[in-house]
Amino acid sequence: MFHPRLVLAALSASFLLAAAGLGATSSVASAQDVIRFGAPLPITGPLAPEAVKQQQGYDLWAEQANKAGGINVGGKKYKVEIVYSDYQSNTPRSVQTTEQMITQDKVNFMFGPFGSGAAKAASTIAEKYKVPMLAATASSSQVYDQNYKYLFGTFTPNDTLTTPLTKLVKAKATDVKKVAILARNDLFPLAIAQEMEKSAKENGLEVVYFEKYAINTLDHSATLSQIKSLAPQWVFITGYTNDLLLIRKQMVDQQMKAGVVTMIAGPAYQEFIDSAGATAENISSASWWHPAEKYDGKDIFGSTANFVKLFKDKYKLEPDYAHASAAVCGALFQMAIEKAGSLDRDKVRDELAKMDVVTFWGPVKFGANGQINSLEPPVFQIQAGKPVVLFPDAIKQGDFKLGVN
Amino acid sequence: MLAIQVLINALVLGCLYACIAIGFSLVWGVLNVINLIHGSFIVLGAYLAWGAYNALGLSPWYSLLIAAPSFFVFGYLLQRLLLNRVITAPVLVTLTLTFGLDLILNNAMIYYFKADYRKLILNPPTGSVSIFDVVVPVDRLIATASALALTFLLYLLLRRSKVGRAIVAVRLDRDAAVLMGVNVKSIYAVAFGLGAALAGCAGVLMALIFPISPLTSSAYLGKAFVVCVLGGLGSVSGALAGGLLLALVEGVGSVYLGPAHAVTLSFVLLIIFLVVRPQGLLGRKGFE
Repeated sequence: MFHPRLVLAALSASFLLAAAGLGATSSVASAQDVIRFGAPLPITGPLAPEAVKQQQGYDLWAEQANKAGGINVGGKKYKVEIVYSDYQSNTPRSVQTTEQMITQDKVNFMFGPFGSGAAKAASTIAEKYKVPMLAATASSSQVYDQNYKYLFGTFTPNDTLTTPLTKLVKAKATDVKKVAILARNDLFPLAIAQEMEKSAKENGLEVVYFEKYAINTLDHSATLSQIKSLAPQWVFITGYTNDLLLIRKQMVDQQMKAGVVTMIAGPAYQEFIDSAGATAENISSASWWHPAEKYDGKDIFGSTANFVKLFKDKYKLEPDYAHASAAVCGALFQMAIEKAGSLDRDKVRDELAKMDVVTFWGPVKFGANGQINSLEPPVFQIQAGKPVVLFPDAIKQGDFKLGVN
Repeated sequence: MLAIQVLINALVLGCLYACIAIGFSLVWGVLNVINLIHGSFIVLGAYLAWGAYNALGLSPWYSLLIAAPSFFVFGYLLQRLLLNRVITAPVLVTLTLTFGLDLILNNAMIYYFKADYRKLILNPPTGSVSIFDVVVPVDRLIATASALALTFLLYLLLRRSKVGRAIVAVRLDRDAAVLMGVNVKSIYAVAFGLGAALAGCAGVLMALIFPISPLTSSAYLGKAFVVCVLGGLGSVSGALAGGLLLALVEGVGSVYLGPAHAVTLSFVLLIIFLVVRPQGLLGRKGFE
């Protein structure tokens, strides 16, 4: 005779097995209908605010794609799933995370980590496993000089920001002869400062000051006093929001005035404008995208205005170039996959390589090295607490104003 | 003229550095605890000033009056309930405990305030005063004066009050102080509370000057550490001397070697001090 407890145990075991079996099949079924995108981001640590922006961009795209039924792969609809992972603002960890996503999380495609440095590091892994990677925030040409086949990026090289800026200043502010450049000693801010120096020299301006400041500098008063004593008409400063807020405050403290003051990359962000208040007035800047642009795209978002509207509805804030670039990366993957009609990584990679399409982000065409070469980044200026586009002429919203006090 | 401007800048910045470091120096000097939570206390003080100004329209000068007692209580309880349990353990244990507490406080601030940078913008702005082309920002001047006042108050407290003498006694000789009837555990808590109150007040003053974010806490802590090593532990004037020396080296360094090397220079100085004069400029045993 069977012991009742044994029977119970046997019954529950078989029930559990059945349940496990059911679970496995259902997850297999869903895995077939889902395309997984890996997104390593610095969710914690000093770069956390940047991660939030990218995440919002990816999420908006995924939401829109899924709302439309998913991505159409040869007649079958696949839902979008984004797999996030935190690399804690630690570049070496972004490389590990990327490898983990490809080998363990079995993602189909990859988004790049934040910034040029981490994107360059992680692209090595994507290349090794032949996984197409779209980098949303990598501009420095050094990221693409390895001629990788699977890496693509939506930021044009840094000189596409500084050249139009210099030309504009040259044309509108004829008394500008001397430029002072101060750069954060970090990959992107330094690279863009070096481009500025080149561009200033090419246009016959005298660079009277070029120095780097250390990351985490708490005080710039000595540096700014020195720049003030050189009396430049154009002050060009690079860094991130915190650096630029502090420097701007200290410029006012030191009663430092100049015809033109340019800051990259803070003023494109609303929090810079909010936190700098009246002192943001007439600060000029350049970025890869601006919500005032008017492109009529073939991507899921369609026009720039529609993207801005969807974004504002979801997050109640104005999108900046970091949000938009992340969203366009998703939209580009979607177009490449639909065109390839397959989830085959090589086919999708080939579609990305020969892509030539207008999106809400602007015209998208990648060079042989994988970096976009079709964008014309806008120059803008903060006027009455709002960014106003000055260039290109097609989307111009106002005229360049001189004098930053 | 540039030289005078750089000197004035350094003088003002030095006092701010002293303000950042004084609470840290007190806790390190009296309790022999390297208080890694100090930077986060400063940031919390800055948020207090920012919130009080934006939500209640309360001027930062009033925030100082709120910050001092509330941070004192917070610090007192922290020491009484947690740190006193491990105070006699080797220094690494207290270091680890304050490190853990700092992680908790800092991440709680990231959670509640987000990591975005904010700025306290006074309306109307305080502006700057200029005398013969030498410019001094008024908010820094006020912060400097307040820092000096706080430092002087601490000095008076330690010199003249009963509690102050007890703190100095514990610092000089713990066992003798016990024999004289000093309640050491309570004195530890008072000293830590004072350190926290000074950090909170420093935060309120820094809110006028620096962008506010939980991520800046490590920068404040780093400065406090260097100031203490340069100036020496165990005296109020040590923090002031250390702050001034650090600001001067950074200022002169950034003009003559470039701002990227100013920080390097200050750490080279730190290493030289650790090797040649580990007690710092004015270091001595006992907190006077």
